[in-house]
Amino acid sequence: MSSTETVEGYRPPTPDQTSLLARLADVWTEFESLLEDVPILRSLAAGEVSVADYQCLLHNLRQQVVDGSLWIARAASNFDMDHFELRSAAISHALEEHRDHLLLERDYVAVGGSLEQLRSGRKNIGSQALSGYLFHQASQPNPIGLLGAMFIIEGLGAQKALAWAERFQEVLGLADNQVHFMRYHQEADAEHTGKLDAILTSDAVDGAAADAIVSCARVVARLYVMQLTELDQI
Amino acid sequence: MAATAYLTGLGRYLPGEPVSNEEVASRLGGLDRRTERIRARIQKANGIRQRYYAMDTAGQTTELNEELAVHAIRGALDDRGISASDLGMLACATTQGDLLVPGFASMVHGRLGGGPMQVLTAAGVCASSIAALDAAVTKVRLGDHPRAAVVGSELASRWLHQRRFDGVTDHLDAHFLRWMLSDGAGAAVVEFQPRPDRPSLRVDWVRQVSLAHEHEVCMRAGLDGGSAVAGRTWQDFEDVASAERAGLMQIRQETKVLDELAAAGLAQFEQLVDLGLVDLKKLDHVICHYSTNVFRDLVFDALSARIPGLDQSRWFSNLETCGNTGAASIFIALEEAWRTERLAPGETVLLAVPESGRFSFGFAHLTVVEPRRSSR
Repeated sequence: MSSTETVEGYRPPTPDQTSLLARLADVWTEFESLLEDVPILRSLAAGEVSVADYQCLLHNLRQQVVDGSLWIARAASNFDMDHFELRSAAISHALEEHRDHLLLERDYVAVGGSLEQLRSGRKNIGSQALSGYLFHQASQPNPIGLLGAMFIIEGLGAQKALAWAERFQEVLGLADNQVHFMRYHQEADAEHTGKLDAILTSDAVDGAAADAIVSCARVVARLYVMQLTELDQI
Repeated sequence: MAATAYLTGLGRYLPGEPVSNEEVASRLGGLDRRTERIRARIQKANGIRQRYYAMDTAGQTTELNEELAVHAIRGALDDRGISASDLGMLACATTQGDLLVPGFASMVHGRLGGGPMQVLTAAGVCASSIAALDAAVTKVRLGDHPRAAVVGSELASRWLHQRRFDGVTDHLDAHFLRWMLSDGAGAAVVEFQPRPDRPSLRVDWVRQVSLAHEHEVCMRAGLDGGSAVAGRTWQDFEDVASAERAGLMQIRQETKVLDELAAAGLAQFEQLVDLGLVDLKKLDHVICHYSTNVFRDLVFDALSARIPGLDQSRWFSNLETCGNTGAASIFIALEEAWRTERLAPGETVLLAVPESGRFSFGFAHLTVVEPRRSSR
């Protein structure tokens, strides 16, 4: 029996030595397979969604989207001078994101939803867990792990949103003007992930930071799936 | 990518009781023998058996044009089961609103209620209905509004009463429309999705074209002489009363060019076929607006020679029972065709509206579609 093993044979996890990008790629693969089981995405793939489903999805996403730039801004305020580059990146990222919910709101209205109702909505239980977790992380000193959250959220935008938009358009016959939010993210988030990759491969990320990033990415992936699964569950 | 627009609710409003040919003069006046002769001749030619007026037997207007429009819109909204607050846009077509200023659509919206919405007043004569439809359909297809309402509404009677003819320089061409036009409104709800409970009319395309560049004014009011000259319109006279005495406030029709209008309309139809917008083998219904049965026969004969199987059963008009209500006519006819279940899923409908104002034409192509069924 080695010193890292208990008498019951349990061996605690040891730090992963593979590269950060490779570890994140595994997280992404796992995330994608979790998304496949999300009921609304299953229906979307099967072409069985209604306009009401699209409205429901937007309604549920919106309550968390308004928080996006807020937790990023909070994270920015918690980076010290040794992490000046990350602070800079977070501030400009928060600026770019802080009007995103307006795109979503416009789409919601364009498919016949009421702005008042949308704005008076509450976060579903998945969104509550996700926001709670993100704000908690952002409140820590030098919350570098949040790069993992961005990896998941921006990745969704860059790799999934356009396909969702196109599928909703295909199934429901929607105009581009009714899917701004999802279409826009393909472009904007692809740019963001480019910037993110540059940071992830820079000297700013040491071994401990890499572990924090991967762990945060895995939590966010699960909570995001929960947000998409627990629609209207408040 | 653009969305698709569907007509999901239709409504109409015809004010008061139907007025038969014999009763018309008791509403509009003009019981002298000469006027009676003109009336009998025109009524015989146009084939209208009854029409409606928002005017009582004392010649008093009973409802505003904007009220007729609102009744028709409410009818369309009720048919669809939604309310005015669900609308993002209101497109109104009329020849003459109740007021000179502001636009008719502003007045209709004010009376209709609902929430903030885009409004459009499509001015013109009969084909303004198609211009209004086009605007609403386009905005819905762009995804700018989930729902819009279109209405065509006319209150011509107050311009046709005998008091507009007494002491006015006599123009025979003003008598023509006097016994043709009457009041009414027709409306449609336009949405980006078909309705879930019943069939809808998918709008395949809308097309409007003016040939004013090669034709003089044909149907007009407010014009002195044959063409427009600065200083000689109704607004330039010493006062409105003198413009009225000179006959400028009458609606007049240059009747001798109407044959040309029919020919031009048929040429436009041929172009739709050439462009592939109309498939002659798959055109199930034609709803054509025309002012008189003389043109019905002319146009019907020409179209039935081109459209295989086009017979009376595929040709629909309610001119004879609802009168010629200008911009409202096409919606009033479509509403009746729809309500009486003439149009079955899978079938196509061509709406055609020639306008004699200065030669313009409006067309729309519709396909009847089943409700979208969700398997969830």
